Amino acid sequence: MATTTATITLASSDIADSNISISNTATLTTAGTDTGLSEFTGVARKKFASSSNIVLLDHGLTGGIAQDVTADKSAKVYIKNINDRGDGTKYVNILLVTKEIGRLYGGDWMFIPWSGGSGKDIEFTASDTTETTLEYAVFYE
Amino acid sequence: MPTTTATITLSSSDLLTDNLSLSSTMTLYQDGTTATGLDEVTYSRHNIPTGTNFDLIPESAALTEDASYVYIANKTDDVTYYVIVSINDEVIGRLYGGDWMFMPWDCDLSAAANDSSIEIQAYTGENIIEHALFHNGETLLTAADS
Repeated sequence: MATTTATITLASSDIADSNISISNTATLTTAGTDTGLSEFTGVARKKFASSSNIVLLDHGLTGGIAQDVTADKSAKVYIKNINDRGDGTKYVNILLVTKEIGRLYGGDWMFIPWSGGSGKDIEFTASDTTETTLEYAVFYE
Repeated sequence: MPTTTATITLSSSDLLTDNLSLSSTMTLYQDGTTATGLDEVTYSRHNIPTGTNFDLIPESAALTEDASYVYIANKTDDVTYYVIVSINDEVIGRLYGGDWMFMPWDCDLSAAANDSSIEIQAYTGENIIEHALFHNGETLLTAADS
């Protein structure tokens, strides 16, 4: 089985009096086991120029990734807003169906588990119609 | 202003035919700025018992600045132990022992009460959770007996 690791490092020398350095490595495994995840969508890139709500990962399908990602399995989602930060006012809202998670400004990334389930799409809405590019990937079982 | 960075590295030598190596670094800025870093942080550790869905980060009028970032790690050794992380009633996913997640968070008070609270529930057994919230603009609540 494949071994895939995800490492995060959060670092600051001046947000507090002492340095903050949080580092953590997770090995991506199937649900509740030590067996590595063996399926991967690859890293995809999507460009869009709309402030309408758009489905990034569609969980309403009857085949493909949509069918494979369910709550009793394991899936991890990586999303990055590739745009430059610009003036700091442009972003994409990342949503679970209609529930807003948060804003990815230009250069921001996120990495979350994804339970999925019927209709539990990951969607996004841009703050304006400026062309925005997202990169994303799903590791799953 | 402080400078805080978040770096992710995804790597595998055997998931694909060729090596996978993806790395990205971001700086945690305040909303509407080009170079002003977030200047407040909380970093906590909790033992989460089973049987109850808890508010890990409750929404609050003190946290409504638009750019916040949340890190959650399940430090439990047993990989069969997990927590379900949700935003109010919408499940994000499961963090098994050893997993972590990092995401932006928008504390939105415009919808129903607690609609944007980050909640957590443990399964299999007591889970050990660490979490950090990077944000700005928090105003401490006035003491009830002041």
